[in-house]
Amino acid sequence: MTIPAFIIKNALRNKRRAALSILSVAVSLFLLVTLQVALRELTLPPEDVGAALRVAVRNKISLANLLPARQLPIIERIPGVESVTPFTWFGGKYKNEEGMTFAQFAMDAKKLRKVFGEAKMSEEEYVAFENQRNACIIGRITAEKYRLKRGDRITLESTVYPVTMDFQIVGIYSGTVDDRNMLFHQEYLDEASGLPGMVGMWWMKVTSAEAMPKVIQRINDTFANTSAEVRAESERAFQLSFISMWGNIRILVTSVSSVVVFTLVLVSASTMSMAIRERFRELAILKALGFRRRELFAFILAESFGLAAVGGLIGIGSAYLLYTYGDISKLTSGVFVVFEVTPRILAFASLVAASLGILASLLPSLAAARMSVVEGLKTLD
Amino acid sequence: MALPLKYNFRNVFVRWRATLATVTGIALVVAVFVLVQSLAVGLEKASQNTGDPRNVMVARKGSTAESSSQVTREQSRNILYLPEIARDARGRPLVSADVVILVNLPRRDGTGEANVTVRGVTPMGMDLRPQVTLTHGRWFNPGRREAVVSQKVARRFAHCDVGGRIRTGGTELTIVGWMDGDNSAFDSEVWMDADEARSAFDRDNYSSLLVRVADTNQMAALAKRIESDKRASLRAEPEIAYYSAQTRTAGPIRILGNFLATTMSIGAIFAAMNTMYASVGARTREIGTLRVLGYRRRSVLLGFIIEGVILAGLGGLLGCMLALPMHGYSTGTLSFDSFSEVVFQFRITPWLAAQGVIFAIAVGFLGSLLPAVRAARLPVISALKAV
Repeated sequence: MTIPAFIIKNALRNKRRAALSILSVAVSLFLLVTLQVALRELTLPPEDVGAALRVAVRNKISLANLLPARQLPIIERIPGVESVTPFTWFGGKYKNEEGMTFAQFAMDAKKLRKVFGEAKMSEEEYVAFENQRNACIIGRITAEKYRLKRGDRITLESTVYPVTMDFQIVGIYSGTVDDRNMLFHQEYLDEASGLPGMVGMWWMKVTSAEAMPKVIQRINDTFANTSAEVRAESERAFQLSFISMWGNIRILVTSVSSVVVFTLVLVSASTMSMAIRERFRELAILKALGFRRRELFAFILAESFGLAAVGGLIGIGSAYLLYTYGDISKLTSGVFVVFEVTPRILAFASLVAASLGILASLLPSLAAARMSVVEGLKTLD
Repeated sequence: MALPLKYNFRNVFVRWRATLATVTGIALVVAVFVLVQSLAVGLEKASQNTGDPRNVMVARKGSTAESSSQVTREQSRNILYLPEIARDARGRPLVSADVVILVNLPRRDGTGEANVTVRGVTPMGMDLRPQVTLTHGRWFNPGRREAVVSQKVARRFAHCDVGGRIRTGGTELTIVGWMDGDNSAFDSEVWMDADEARSAFDRDNYSSLLVRVADTNQMAALAKRIESDKRASLRAEPEIAYYSAQTRTAGPIRILGNFLATTMSIGAIFAAMNTMYASVGARTREIGTLRVLGYRRRSVLLGFIIEGVILAGLGGLLGCMLALPMHGYSTGTLSFDSFSEVVFQFRITPWLAAQGVIFAIAVGFLGSLLPAVRAARLPVISALKAV
């Protein structure tokens, strides 16, 4: 019998225990990967292709305060600004749903292509959206969720404006990181609400990445000390400011992950020691036969490492497969749209699995090293 | 005949090393479960603990939060003298027209910014909310840009100490005092004078009306009267019911807690199984002896299940104890209802702790079931022969 065969035989001789150990490692690593990915998605949301050139402008008091529409021509004149559109949160409830299930924004339809170019639609759909007053376009995910198609009419009751509005879907777009939003005409909203002259935000595209800091500075300065001071920031900064609102969620997920890792180490280490302690007699015989401590260490380490590696492979692998090929927005009922298992997370989880295998073999190795042959031979269980 | 409980107890502690690891593992699982759920409980409690049973909240129909609601001055005048509304000693109706604005403020620890609810409140509105008391400094004076912050908000946001100044848009507010909302939703708010708030933030309309009814039996009648005015399109409901419904944020936290509990409990069940199988394996002879002594298979089965349950139950208790120091600890997150920071506490209720222990016991039961069946099925003779 070769030495690797000996180690494998040893690891699998109590098949049930081997299976249980592997599975508990697998479950824990699956959970670890899930939490890490969730944390990443929460704190570093995915970025759109066009984000590098986009600037978001909101009321300085807070996002919930509106901006006067008269700011538009002033912003458009700022050098470096390519195209500007209003972007107004409608907060509509669809059908009899309890709350809002997808976001809707009122905007300038003619600016869609220039500002949010990554939204893919046919030419025909673009033209229809630009020219029809009550037209709206929706993201692919929302369209699939509610089985909506072009030509359908939908009614939304706003939680922000005292209106209920009817729209006709003229296009279904895809290609953005979150194909869920609905977009419609700002003019249509102004008309329905009877409150023209106010918009939610301004979103714009700048001519180049170099121009961006200057544009942001100019916009902030232009409206300083007016009745509606603004905060202009890059799309990324705007997203990150949203994340800051989540408050202590990050600490929560991080501490839960640490507890998971700790529990995992504890349980697996105890299982491993159990497996070794059962074999003290055998180890004593090996010692008596002339195997050295070093070799015994290697046997124990290889066995423990092997079990952890297999468990890790199953846990990390299934998480990877599930989140890469599964429909994550369905699984989390829309909380997450993207759930990307990055190489970094894979590496971190593998590292945890490997350290686990090594750590778990330490205690039993020490015990095995310390025992004398005679004592070991006397051990019964 | 059942095995004496003492036998089970002592067995749990004989192989203490393996047992300890399993008990600790289960304890950590239970601690995580209890802590995450206690966040959801804390959020719900803060909403449910808000309001006075005699008050009615009036807001725009369709709005989900006061900050997105609007009540015009005309609508407010029409409601003021409705017959069901209580009057004070001087005959003034007990009605407060508030304005609620969300303001973006930097966090105290410098990790970013968040929206905070600023409530412009009338003196009447303060009387209608007896839960709120001043703890430091003084109340704001009408006509001045002064504000009083909840002390829980003050601990989380910059420049909120008494004497500090918060700048928002073109407005600067001086903090003149701290208040305490008695663990209600008001703990997440900043208060200032209503008229001052309307001028500082350029608002014509009010956000909501808070109305005291003379007789709580007339609450429904008042609500009906207000809602029957189709042009106004307002909604009236008991203040307590209004706030109790604002618990949407708790949903995802509960989902997270349940997901963690399910996944981690699967791991814990495997661990408990391992421990129990090892225990059965080591005690093969002992089991044989018990059977020879006349104990039946089902007593052995029950005995091992009881052992598993004791083991896990201990873990559950330990887990609750680990979680307990967090009880009452204040934390905050984004409320999905008001789109602003909601401050609340970890709340470990007796029922939640009991749930944790029950959960642990379930893990123990499931983990020991198969090993116990194996123990019960051991053939007597070969068991006796085992070394």
